[in-house]
Amino acid sequence: MSDYLNENPDVLETNQLPTREEDDELNNYLSNGIQNKNGLERRKLLLKMDRSLESQVLKDVELLDRLLLLNSITESTSDEESDENLKSLTQSTHLIQDTIDPIDAQEIYDLTAYIQDPEHPLTLGQLSIVNLEDIQVHDTGNQKEMAEVVIHITPTITHCSLATLIGLGIRVRLERALPPRFRITILLKKGTHQSENQVNKQLNDKERVTAACENEQLLNVVSNMLSTCK
Amino acid sequence: MKLELARCIKLHEDKVWSLDFSRGLLASGSTDRRTKIVSIKPEAQVTLVDELDDSTHSKSVRSVAWRPGTSILATGSFDTTVSIWTREETEEGEEYDSEEDEASREYSNSNHDNKYVMELLAIIEGHENEVKSVAWSYDGSLLATCARDKSVWIWETDEIGEEYECISVLQEHSQDVKNVVWHPSLPILASSSYDDTIRIWTDYDDDWECSAVLNGHKGTVWSSDFEKSNNNSNIRLCSGSDDCTVRVWKKLNKGEVGTSVKGTDDINDGNANEEEDEEEENDIYDNDDKWICEAILPQEHTRSIYSVSWGPNGMIASAGSDGKLVIYHEVEDKNEKNKMRWEVLCIKELIHGIYECNIVKWIDVEGELLLATGGDDGYVNLWKLI
Repeated sequence: MSDYLNENPDVLETNQLPTREEDDELNNYLSNGIQNKNGLERRKLLLKMDRSLESQVLKDVELLDRLLLLNSITESTSDEESDENLKSLTQSTHLIQDTIDPIDAQEIYDLTAYIQDPEHPLTLGQLSIVNLEDIQVHDTGNQKEMAEVVIHITPTITHCSLATLIGLGIRVRLERALPPRFRITILLKKGTHQSENQVNKQLNDKERVTAACENEQLLNVVSNMLSTCK
Repeated sequence: MKLELARCIKLHEDKVWSLDFSRGLLASGSTDRRTKIVSIKPEAQVTLVDELDDSTHSKSVRSVAWRPGTSILATGSFDTTVSIWTREETEEGEEYDSEEDEASREYSNSNHDNKYVMELLAIIEGHENEVKSVAWSYDGSLLATCARDKSVWIWETDEIGEEYECISVLQEHSQDVKNVVWHPSLPILASSSYDDTIRIWTDYDDDWECSAVLNGHKGTVWSSDFEKSNNNSNIRLCSGSDDCTVRVWKKLNKGEVGTSVKGTDDINDGNANEEEDEEEENDIYDNDDKWICEAILPQEHTRSIYSVSWGPNGMIASAGSDGKLVIYHEVEDKNEKNKMRWEVLCIKELIHGIYECNIVKWIDVEGELLLATGGDDGYVNLWKLI
């Protein structure tokens, strides 16, 4: 392709894209144990956010403590004690099973940012079409409740005729990857496109999306876009 | 009152888009490209009786409709075609009951226990792209179809239902036509569209013309349904939309026209400009009827409403993307005598679990009124109002 719609888009390097940093923090917290000052601070903060004794946060903190305790004990002490710990641990795990793994914005970002742009050999993340701060997720993690994702995308130019295709790619990716409890809304960021309302309407029309997914040609293009996903 | 699940049936591998019930048989169409037929007996007893040949449609079956009083079924598909099916050994003029007796006798001799074989009778081509809805007129003489190509086609057919002649192509919608529905006892057709409007079509000396445009919804109108009333001087229609509202529209009789405008203004207060547009648009038609938005029903839905059904009991049911089934009924206003208002009778949440609901229909199973719903989970659920 020689004539791009947008010849010169701004590009981010892959290592500039936002990733999950909490993982490192969590490891840190776990390895240093509960006596760690940082850990205690975090705990206090969490408790301040949610004071009730029955609160989920408190239970989670407790669970984490037990986990840490168990880890250190199995290495050094008798089986009897660890068995007991294990039993109470299983009980606590059972309590929080229903709401075990809510999906957050970073996860949605990771699912969509590596989709390839239909025009440039770059990803939607690199072109800042998908941005972490423009993703809203409402999810309790409960598999028996509906959840919602709202993504605002930013086309590289205001008359980009490929905006609908990009949106479709994101929708297909999320519909395939997310649990079925998710309702997905994809919108153009306000003021980023000439036919904002038209594109928005089309991207969120269930019937049109279903029909588009039965169109082989279109589906091939979308598959190509998704081939760069992790 | 509350809604109780009477039966759930896993019929399809993908989204159930459409349901139609007639003479004890429920037909369902799905994105899995199949059309299935189940028999429903009292106490919500359900038996799968046939599955149509699935090589007929190469894409989603979007809409199914029984021809009134017959065993003829029309199915509309995203593959641009409409197919017509009939029960194999139906003989003209025969009563349904005796017909069934004969059929069951016949089948007990062969190995098709409980089977009911539908044969392909005709395939109708004409639409440029996805067919979204098919509907038979009350007397079964006309079939209306609509598509993403923005048009509504009206087809005339004979008693056997083998030949279809297109008598009208209505192209006044500016976007996809999502749904068509006929009045239960008059030759009046309503079409709902992605252009946010509903159009009413009437037959003027064998010429089908748009007699009214119903403006008011602020998003795609997915579905509409006429009131099942014997009083033909009182024509009303309900509609459900992307804007999360259900509206009730009323056709004004000649004498009422003068007082109508005020009512319209009351409801759409603050949208004065739009109302003016509507007036202008309506004036284009010589034969125009006046319709008003009589009521916006209490808003319970939080996402798109995909389907509405006006029951023979006078109640309206709505369902959609938020998985809620809402039943509304009309009651006398406490403050004003002789004035009716709509209230929510009951709500059921998560009617297809965490999945969306695409279709809701009141069905009369030998005198017992049930609600049938179809969802993205491939299930057809039957609900009892108790």
